[in-house]
Amino acid sequence: MKSVTSHRRSIMSGIAALTLMASAPAIFAQADKPIRIGYSMARTGILASATTSQSNAYELWREQVNARGGMDVGGQKRKVEFVTYDDQSKPEQAVRIYEKLITDDKVDLLLAPWGTPFQIAIAPVLEKFKFPMVGNTAASVALRQVKPGYIWFPTSAIPDRIGAELTALLKASNVKSAVLLSNVLPFTKEIKNFLEPELKKAGIEVKLSTEYPPDIKDMTSILTQVKQLNPDAVLALAYPGDSVLYAKQAKELGITSPLQFIAVGPSDAFFAKAVGAASAENVITIAHWSPRPEWKGSQAFYDDYVKKFGEAPDYLNSALAWMSLEILETAVAKSGVDKAKIREVISKDTFDTINGKVRFDGVQNAITPTAFVQTQKGKLQIIWPKSIASGQYEPKKGW
Amino acid sequence: MPVLDVLTSGQLLFAALVTGSVYALVALGLNLVYGTMRMLNVAHGDLVMLGAYAAYWAFSIAGISPLVAAPVVACLGALLGYALYKGLFRHLLAVAPADAGRMESNSLLLFFGLSIILQNAAAMLFTPNNRAYQYLDEVWRVGNVAMTGNRIAALLVAGATCIGVALFLGRSTAGLAMRSVIERREAAYIVGVDVDRVQWSSFALGFGSAALAGVLMSMLEQFSPFSGFPFTIAGFIVIILGGLGNVMAGLVAALLLGVIETYGVALTSANLRSVLLYGCFVGALLLFPNGLLARRSTRS
Repeated sequence: MKSVTSHRRSIMSGIAALTLMASAPAIFAQADKPIRIGYSMARTGILASATTSQSNAYELWREQVNARGGMDVGGQKRKVEFVTYDDQSKPEQAVRIYEKLITDDKVDLLLAPWGTPFQIAIAPVLEKFKFPMVGNTAASVALRQVKPGYIWFPTSAIPDRIGAELTALLKASNVKSAVLLSNVLPFTKEIKNFLEPELKKAGIEVKLSTEYPPDIKDMTSILTQVKQLNPDAVLALAYPGDSVLYAKQAKELGITSPLQFIAVGPSDAFFAKAVGAASAENVITIAHWSPRPEWKGSQAFYDDYVKKFGEAPDYLNSALAWMSLEILETAVAKSGVDKAKIREVISKDTFDTINGKVRFDGVQNAITPTAFVQTQKGKLQIIWPKSIASGQYEPKKGW
Repeated sequence: MPVLDVLTSGQLLFAALVTGSVYALVALGLNLVYGTMRMLNVAHGDLVMLGAYAAYWAFSIAGISPLVAAPVVACLGALLGYALYKGLFRHLLAVAPADAGRMESNSLLLFFGLSIILQNAAAMLFTPNNRAYQYLDEVWRVGNVAMTGNRIAALLVAGATCIGVALFLGRSTAGLAMRSVIERREAAYIVGVDVDRVQWSSFALGFGSAALAGVLMSMLEQFSPFSGFPFTIAGFIVIILGGLGNVMAGLVAALLLGVIETYGVALTSANLRSVLLYGCFVGALLLFPNGLLARRSTRS
């Protein structure tokens, strides 16, 4: 019995070997093997509602790549397969997941989890296993302290630059006085710390600067004051939850300041649904992307996203997620799954993305300018800086 | 803001009343279930969340006004409460009548599990996206007070429901039976109160009022499957401030909380919101361990 089996087995393997040798080099074996890409996402917990605009972009990309026959991996087309876990909105959980993705699941590539604390938290893991990953939805001056080499951040929405550029926008829009309402969460607090001195330097009078906690349920008392002060600009450094609260109560109290800036929220489609189109109109927010003919693929990305998910992409997070995928795709097409080569390419090359050209200097995007968008007739247009503007600043006429 | 302006501001009074009345409605159901069965429903906020989704879908798919949907959603919530009581919690109460402590901790675990199931089921079914819709968002002005339609509606519905339940507890036979179970469970049993019926009806009333609070909440703010928990916490603060199981005092405590939150922030700083809330909470616990309006004869 034994000899028969082993005999048959050797014949079979002989045939297999012959077929392989005859048809293609060894890579052939990998060609039908899907390329496995891992990431974690907060699908449950307090941050889950913020993450879909990013994971949607990932899903759309996989669908499109596979429809094209697969991802170009150093000249070979391979189907994309995702290996994903829920990090329960906990950065420490994400750290464990990325270790597992690398050592246990042995994925070929990694995509970023959602948010600054998560991407900063997993940077040492990437460093330890020499595994390059393109970051996306992270924005903080703290990113610059991340050791460069295995993670890159395409965002230009860094708080110190936002402080300087927003002040420049206010100056150019003839704003003489402003009030600052800041949520104490890290991103908005950071913006406040950089923005306040810039405003003073530019001679814009800060009539009121107040902080509030993330779980605020009612802003009546703050906004009654704002109404009395009647500044030229209200700079609401808010997160998505309180951005809606601010807009609703600004409408109730009839705040008439012509320049309305809300830091985080209005770039996502849910904002206009929550506050109504009239309230969302002419609100300015942080984003450096918008569909522009100069940026190849930007309109197609917008259209495909709307078609698949029934709402517009988040102009900040979905666009950043897509940019990170484009950069990774280009690098992998060039260097296959060789980590050292991917790292080399991402560190040195210039990439074409839906947000224009991107090149990294250390961990940071050295090309994309810090920008602001404004809702105009229901669509977000880049109004600052002038070099990439797709529309002109319009004062807000009412809620 | 100058102190006098704050105290005489109708705008702030309106804000305090809206906040307080929604808290009162949320706390009401929590308190009824705790009062009659000594079960702390940590999934209460998740029922608020489900109510919000029900109103959202009714409005965005069928165009049904949330105010029309409200009684239906409340009834569905009540039905869910009834089913859960009959299917799950009645056994728990029957198994361990002698060991109240164990029953309390077991029910806590059950509710905790229920909360996790509801949150994650909602996240799977509805996606974790933020949801919101526009309803009654025109602004009404009375004197120098500006009020958004949906906030007025929330205030009226929550206020009317709380007053309705208060009247029910104070005037009707069924309500008196409920109160008797809350205040003297064994005595109520001895004098012939149908304790089982009181328990399922307070479960139904509790769940129904939570779902109703959800409908109101959905008109005011955006929500996601994980928006329920802060309501559970707010409910806890209210019922502990008022006295566990003391429904009337809970209503007063809720309004007080609304006042602290609005006027306290106006007089100090928004950053002190949590300090004020929890400070009052801890202070009240130290000074009035049985609740602000506890009658000495009620519990001892």
